[in-house]
Amino acid sequence: MATEKRDDKENEAVKTDDGSPKIKPRPIVQLGIFLIAHSHVFSVVFSAAGIMALLLLPLLAKNTYISENALMPGSARSMLSHRDVSDGSKLVKDIKNLRLNHEGQGVEVQRLIGKYMSEMGAEVYYQKFHPEGNQFHPLHFFSGPDSYTLLGNVSCASYGVNVAGIIRAPRGDGKESIVLVTPYDSTNGGDYEALSLGIASSLFSLLARVTWLSKDIIWLVADSRHGDYRPVAAWLSEYHTPSFKASDLSKCDELNTSHSFRRAGTMAAALVLKVDGRSERFEDTLSIFAEASNGQMPNLDLINVANYLAVHRQGFYVKVEKVVSLLSSTWLKIVGELFEAVGKMAHTLNPDWNFGIPAADYLEGSATLASSLYSQALGIPTGPHGAFRDYQVDAITLKVSPRFSPDNTARQHEFFQRGAQLLEGTIRSVNNLLEKFHQSFFLYLLTSPGKFISVGVYMIAFALLVAPLPMVAASLYIDGCNALTKATHNPAENLKSWKWLDAAKQVLALHLLGFIVTLLPYFICQVPGEHSPTNRSIMWATTISSVLLITCVTIPGCSPFSSRLHGTNWAVLKSVTISAAFIGLCLMSIINFATAEIGALLLVPMCLMVRPIKPDLRSRSVKSLLRSLCSMVLVTIGFPVMFFAICKGLIGEGLVGLSLGGEFWTWLESLWAWKSATYLYIGMVHLPCWLLCLCILFHPS
Amino acid sequence: MKNEDDGEMAEEQKKKPCRFWIWALSSVFFRLILISFPGNLNLSSRPEVSTPLTSIRRLAEGYWLKQASMSPYAGSMYHGSPLLLSLLGPLTVQRIKGQPSHLLCSLVFVVADVLTAMLLRGIGQKLQMAYGLNARLLGFLKSSRDKGILPCGDIAALVYLWNPFTIVSCVGLSTSPIENLAVVVALYGAVKRRVPLAAFGLVMATHLSLYPATLTIPIIFLLGYGLDAPPIKLFLQTKSVENQDRSTSDVSKTEAKLKQTTRVPFLWKTVLHFVFWVLLWSLCVLVLCGLSLIKHGGLEEMFKSTYGFILSIEDLSPNIGVFWYFFAEVFDFFRNFFLIVFHVNILFMLLPLAIRLKHRPCFLAFIYLTISSILKSYPSVGDSALYLSLWALFVNELVDMKFSFFLFCGYLGISLLSPVMHNLWIWRGTGNANFYFGNAIGYACFQIVFVVESVSAMLNHDRALKRCNSKNSREVKN
Repeated sequence: MATEKRDDKENEAVKTDDGSPKIKPRPIVQLGIFLIAHSHVFSVVFSAAGIMALLLLPLLAKNTYISENALMPGSARSMLSHRDVSDGSKLVKDIKNLRLNHEGQGVEVQRLIGKYMSEMGAEVYYQKFHPEGNQFHPLHFFSGPDSYTLLGNVSCASYGVNVAGIIRAPRGDGKESIVLVTPYDSTNGGDYEALSLGIASSLFSLLARVTWLSKDIIWLVADSRHGDYRPVAAWLSEYHTPSFKASDLSKCDELNTSHSFRRAGTMAAALVLKVDGRSERFEDTLSIFAEASNGQMPNLDLINVANYLAVHRQGFYVKVEKVVSLLSSTWLKIVGELFEAVGKMAHTLNPDWNFGIPAADYLEGSATLASSLYSQALGIPTGPHGAFRDYQVDAITLKVSPRFSPDNTARQHEFFQRGAQLLEGTIRSVNNLLEKFHQSFFLYLLTSPGKFISVGVYMIAFALLVAPLPMVAASLYIDGCNALTKATHNPAENLKSWKWLDAAKQVLALHLLGFIVTLLPYFICQVPGEHSPTNRSIMWATTISSVLLITCVTIPGCSPFSSRLHGTNWAVLKSVTISAAFIGLCLMSIINFATAEIGALLLVPMCLMVRPIKPDLRSRSVKSLLRSLCSMVLVTIGFPVMFFAICKGLIGEGLVGLSLGGEFWTWLESLWAWKSATYLYIGMVHLPCWLLCLCILFHPS
Repeated sequence: MKNEDDGEMAEEQKKKPCRFWIWALSSVFFRLILISFPGNLNLSSRPEVSTPLTSIRRLAEGYWLKQASMSPYAGSMYHGSPLLLSLLGPLTVQRIKGQPSHLLCSLVFVVADVLTAMLLRGIGQKLQMAYGLNARLLGFLKSSRDKGILPCGDIAALVYLWNPFTIVSCVGLSTSPIENLAVVVALYGAVKRRVPLAAFGLVMATHLSLYPATLTIPIIFLLGYGLDAPPIKLFLQTKSVENQDRSTSDVSKTEAKLKQTTRVPFLWKTVLHFVFWVLLWSLCVLVLCGLSLIKHGGLEEMFKSTYGFILSIEDLSPNIGVFWYFFAEVFDFFRNFFLIVFHVNILFMLLPLAIRLKHRPCFLAFIYLTISSILKSYPSVGDSALYLSLWALFVNELVDMKFSFFLFCGYLGISLLSPVMHNLWIWRGTGNANFYFGNAIGYACFQIVFVVESVSAMLNHDRALKRCNSKNSREVKN
């Protein structure tokens, strides 16, 4: 970013140097002039290079390594005994019996688990929480997590009960802890889900008697009747920011939960364990989920430890999520084969050049990368581990799929043993830590469980993609200012270096509009009565268009379609638009890289290509017609709703008309409910820039 | 024709103030709206807005300590003036039921902002008149009407009122609006030649935040030499030219005025008057402070925990300046050395700038304020708000300032980036202090470019005047 700014500065140095005596510019200034003068060529080159670099990313992925020496995964022998495992099996069996005997008895299962925990010597407590959805606070994005406050009076009809047990570490001082979470739905959880309780209880029984613990262990059985995320978030917010108001929930049941909440110091790490479904492969499968809200990732070391132990000690097949449809895409296969061929050729030229990877690996890597980018860009956590990230705790979800059916008790024993050993190893590694995770990466993308792309590499792709923006902005600025100087003869009105002010006003007005649009859903949701998403989207659209209309009518200078010729020159307007897009994208790349990357893929070509359509149509030459067609297409794709529809179409769900609006609204609602920065990006950067591009397209020049 | 023109002018003149008042009032309303949502914004805890010196929460704490008959400086919480404590302190504890806390304080800050804007407008009108007069004297402006001259007073006042930095520091409950008001009062007094007022403003501003002490030089220049004007040589040239063709031209009234200005008398009497008033006001302030701290260690305690706190940079919590990071890293035995080096930085620049820009004292004041807001130990956006609006007083001279768009984008980008970096460091934990400090360095760089460009634009303006003038005189000779 710094270099771009510098470029920009150089550019301006050139353009404003008209009046002062001519001095031979310095080499770096000359370079700047050169870049500006050929900005068309360079913008094409840089954008192409940016897209190329994005495609190359799977090739550039490095193997993961354990960066923190204190972790020492797998160096100690497992101490898990058969007695521990049979404890776990017994718990699973009891739960099954309980479920067979009385169905729908919510608290009984929790009591049973609590009984088991306290028999193992843990401090047990229950927490009641209200499964309320997230509230929308558009301005709270930059502050920390809110304290969880109950709004209004709470009914006893639906609430959840978390059970937590704490084992105090014999060697610890009670100031640090490791959290183990097993979400379990006590009313309609399947048999597979109970297995996760079995693994956790085997482990817990072991940890209750080992001597090497220096961090307290908290085992949280989250009541996942209302989703995985909510109970964990409620427990965490009670843990960190206790509310001192007496909750109405305490009266709801005979289970007394008041004043029993216990804590165990700062959390070093958290592991969420889930068991579900049957593995399609021959081995048991372990899926790792790591994406938290807004594309935040846990420290890479945590994933490394789990991956290392699962692969090398327990023989799990480890995978991370990937976009399956990409695996069968032809064009990606061709790209992969191309890269493979180039790699092979390079290898024959110089045996030291080993950058080629097989096309199949490339395909796998890019499918995983695409999924990684997608879930980071969405900004919605992929599991309960996301709640921990809000409190700066590194957490991952380990989802195990056994290869046997849940009724097979013979295999169950071995499965429990392996699962518990995996967790034991991981916890033992984390237990060794002296400080919180800091050695390894926080900013990375995964291309396979054992391969990652660090921030230094993937930022190159983004930087190349946005590099043309300041260059083109500067060159347009020079052109526009020269044109304006010619147009105005009155020296008094000729504010030499302030000609951009009019254009800036317009850009600012539209960004303000974007801000209002971003806040609108909040107010629409305050409208009383139940409304379907489609209705809400219609309300939203009408309000936006009316606001836009009012802006156009009342403030003539800010009107995008005003016919005043002496107003803003389109080149200056485009230059200011591009600068705004550049600032917005750079900001977003820091908040959430994946959103910025996808946004840049849409915004950059649109902003660079767009030109007033009128003169092009008038000239009637093939080149200009093609150009106007191209910009029309890009602007059409750039509209967020349109892009959403295209994406849905690619997946295979064709949507048209009102259902599209409803679908889009639901999607947006989910984004803001999860406090995703992508929502803010769409409202405050993408939409205004798209509107500005529309203004330029229909500029009356 | 002329009548028509005049009518148009009058109409325009009538319209302009009207528009000015509309915008000013709307800015006040905007502030009031923002004040009513304090919970959502949470601005008063942002490091960009409130520093250890200006935070209202610290002030409330200091007031509480004082009420509990302890020294307000106990526990290194409060570091401001004891007078401010007596003025604002009672307002921090007053609560109106159903209203957000600190509402009364916010209202005080809004009033301070409005007052500052009005005083800036007054300064600007005076400067605008001086600009027109000088331009006419030098023969650039032929007509008596100032058609090409921008109303810099209105612009500066609106820039102050609508600057997001000002709004944020007003709504975010930092005491910088009051500090800014004191600075502007000093300048206003000097511009309007009200010596006691200027002295009062200077003493109060220095008392509140120490750095405005540098303004003594520009204020003395203002009182001694008068308002901003092009270099005196130009007038001499013009005069000589006019003397040559006096036979052909009429002896105008301006000639008499010109004679007065060419000699540039330094008004020692006014300056001595000013010094006397400064001493008097300082005495008043010290006596009042001494009285209010009589049981808690007296003035020594006050100096130690206000000026001492500013100069020794004890609080290393992050802010938008560059000192906190450096002094968090520096070895303890080098600390004193670097403290001296860093503070002398400001002092070094005073003299050369004073020599070069002595014909433009108001501009000099602007430059001093900008430099001190870059090199301050606890800067906040409130300081930037002040110097940016002072800068707007010179729109006529700085019309062809370079890099204006680049600087605008830079300020915008940096001020948006700052909360993001802070979020990354403090809340997410994925970044570290370097992220936020990098942002602070970027901000400092943009400020430096801004100062350098402003000064060079002003000097270029003077040069352009000179070139024009010599061309004029050559034409006359021919």
